[in-house]
Amino acid sequence: MPPIVRPKLLVIVGVLVTPLVTAATALAGNGGFAPVAPESPNAHAIKQSYLFISLFAFAIFLLVEGLLIAFVIRYRRRKRPRDLDGAQIHGAKKLELAWTAGPVLILAVIATFVFVKLPTIQDVPASAATSQNLVVDVIGTQFTWQFRYPNGVVTIDRMRAPEGRTVELHITSPDWDVIHSWWIPALGGKMDAIPGKLNKTWFKATRVGVFQGQCAELCGLYHAKMLAAVEVMPAAEFDSWYEERRAQQEAGTSPLGEELWDGTCAKCHGLEGEGGYGPRIAGTALIKNTQSIEALLRKGGILMPPVGRDWTTDEMNALTDYLKEHVGNQG
Amino acid sequence: MATRVEQPHVPAWQRGKVASWLVTVDHKRIGILYIGTAGFFFAISGFLALLIRTQLTNPDNTIITGNSYNEVVTMHGTGMVFFVMVPVLAGLGNFMVPLQIGAADMAFPRLNALSYWFYACAGLVYCTSFLASGGAANTGWTAYPPLSLEAVGNGQDLWILSIHILTLSSALSAINFIVTIHNMRARGMSWMRVPLFVWSVEVYAWLLLLVLPVLSAGLTMLLLERQFPETFHFFRPEGTDQGGSPVLFQHVFWFFGHPEVYIMVLPVFGIISEVLPVFARKPIFGYKAVAFSTVAIGFFSMLVWAHHMFAVGMPTYLNIWFMLASMVIAVPTGMKIFNWLATLWRGNITLETPMLFCLGFLSVFTIGGLSGIYLAAFPVDWQVTDTYFVVAHFHYVLFGGSMLGLLGGLYYWWPKMFGRLLSERLGRWSFFFIFIGFNVTFFPQHLLGLLGMPRRIYTYRHDGLWEAYNITSSVGSYIMGVGFLLFLLAIVKSVNGRRAGNDPWQGDTLEWYTTSPPPPHNFDDVPYVTSARPLYDLRRRLREAESA
Repeated sequence: MPPIVRPKLLVIVGVLVTPLVTAATALAGNGGFAPVAPESPNAHAIKQSYLFISLFAFAIFLLVEGLLIAFVIRYRRRKRPRDLDGAQIHGAKKLELAWTAGPVLILAVIATFVFVKLPTIQDVPASAATSQNLVVDVIGTQFTWQFRYPNGVVTIDRMRAPEGRTVELHITSPDWDVIHSWWIPALGGKMDAIPGKLNKTWFKATRVGVFQGQCAELCGLYHAKMLAAVEVMPAAEFDSWYEERRAQQEAGTSPLGEELWDGTCAKCHGLEGEGGYGPRIAGTALIKNTQSIEALLRKGGILMPPVGRDWTTDEMNALTDYLKEHVGNQG
Repeated sequence: MATRVEQPHVPAWQRGKVASWLVTVDHKRIGILYIGTAGFFFAISGFLALLIRTQLTNPDNTIITGNSYNEVVTMHGTGMVFFVMVPVLAGLGNFMVPLQIGAADMAFPRLNALSYWFYACAGLVYCTSFLASGGAANTGWTAYPPLSLEAVGNGQDLWILSIHILTLSSALSAINFIVTIHNMRARGMSWMRVPLFVWSVEVYAWLLLLVLPVLSAGLTMLLLERQFPETFHFFRPEGTDQGGSPVLFQHVFWFFGHPEVYIMVLPVFGIISEVLPVFARKPIFGYKAVAFSTVAIGFFSMLVWAHHMFAVGMPTYLNIWFMLASMVIAVPTGMKIFNWLATLWRGNITLETPMLFCLGFLSVFTIGGLSGIYLAAFPVDWQVTDTYFVVAHFHYVLFGGSMLGLLGGLYYWWPKMFGRLLSERLGRWSFFFIFIGFNVTFFPQHLLGLLGMPRRIYTYRHDGLWEAYNITSSVGSYIMGVGFLLFLLAIVKSVNGRRAGNDPWQGDTLEWYTTSPPPPHNFDDVPYVTSARPLYDLRRRLREAESA
């Protein structure tokens, strides 16, 4: 009795279908069958590695599932008696060697591909005379991202970055905080922000846009709300923003206070200070008392964590000013 | 030739229906206690899973948010890993290992009872932690410090306590399994004639024995630093001259945690290797390869732990080592899959419920294995780690793998344990509901992870695809829920089910030689074991004698 499905035929079909499926997936890209569209060379190389692995994964998937279905259909009992023996085959050394050596070979190929791509993913491109790398300190605290630029500019939860210029990220978390994980899918992989440890990664955005991401390591109550975004601007526009923001920060007119409020305070106390997980603070006397509010922010309260413990003077002033103007007078 | 077995004297107070279970040292009863208790924890942890999925049907749901959500996630994971999978396998092993090797009981029956009661106590502590001030533990089943050091209230402490007790239980039962398997095999049962389930329990026990002390040490450090933060600085970096490293805990945890995955899945590999041959009416294809690949997986599982930590910023040479070591594990795992497939080849395949579950296992465990390759390649891992891709991956391994195989094993051995068959009709229905529901739940989670959804979040981005995949996943979880209710119904109905006889499936191993359920002493006599399939040999000789 000839087999209904010939394994050989199945292999051929599998080999033909796999590249098609993979190509279609690669084209579709989004839909979640592959990492989101990469906008930085490292993210791009990661996606290539992903697709390369997929090639083999799909082929093996089709082979295994194909054989499984074919065998179950072909060798099902039908009208044979239940206790009739199947072929009493105890093994086949050559065949078993083949399916030991085969995977070793495939894995070696995958590993080689990944190692070839590794420098593109991991190594920070060197600064060029025309395009200096921008180094940004990324500090994760419960439940806020602080971005500190070399000229003293600080932004909260939303990083601004120039298009086409390498941005080096120095990622950490304060001693007294917990572990977070920095991740903007379009701009590369994750890097943990670990208290007492400095981790480095980078990106070089290939186009202008806003790229969303969020903390990827459980960090407590509002882990789900610890969002981050990178706003990539044309290089010239970034440069002017960078200088302007610095001037604003020195003059006390920057939106830093509002950013701090939204990113740090409002998650617990509500956007209007109306109270949420934390108590209502809108319109309280405390809010207007700069000294006591600073002490509270730096040292923490009974239940309140010391969210402002390592803030710069700029940050502290920006927030206390904002509190006085916008939150203290409400209610 | 029947040997008369002296029944030990049992004092009157121990003969009652309840008392006899409380004082039992019989491996079969202890096995049933284990399985029943694990079933109870499965109900709790499964309910928590449905809560999670219900919250995530919509990004704006407020059913469980913030710390409550974190509690539910933590207790679901902890429950399923520590209080369901590991103990239920201990239970199945307890019942089956002595029977499969032709022994009258485990080597240390009282120690065996102690293991069970430690487990029951640990479970009690786990339950009470829901009532603790500040709620149950809410820092994930991995309990990474500094978050787990900061957690307020006593939930985290009770969590540590419960797992401490549980590690004691598992270590004792591991010793018991090893001694039993090494010393109490029937005459003629050389290592190459040991049933493959017993092989896998042997490796399971060794792994428990080797890695649990490390977990206990880590938990002790965590407890000390939580209770005496002024004195102990293992993990908190504050004050760098005397500070510890939060990453240290991750190394300690995953040195235990990765082998733990294999602790949960190897005995299920054993179940598959028992069921496939019986329902294909063939010997296992490549017995030695299957047995030795189990040992190889067990060994390598202890060398790969840091692939859970690629994003902590390890030196490149370590990343490369852990990547290659992780890939190496794929080789013996692949061997097993192909050996199982070849076992089906030219068989006489009967599609009864145990077989359905095991074939289901084979089809979805493959997916879990393949998605593991992405996670082993560390640059790709940087993109997908700590996202729903990982959640999908380990549910394909631990649910699609362990749980489906386990359900197959329960269906297969239920008649031996209770003397009654489970309903085929309900079995089939529950299989289809669970299998389809499982894939509907977890396949879209791969896609969510690739789209950028991290794990352990109670709300997510308002985005068409994110919402579509999440609601699909939730619908799948309810379908699975129905499947488990049907399974439960099958169990309830089996009280009046069809009587099984000694050997309803025409099995090949010694447990089918005795009655169902077996007498307290298991066997009146044990045949000399002539191969890995002693009952097959017996049946053949019987046929030959008849025809002669």
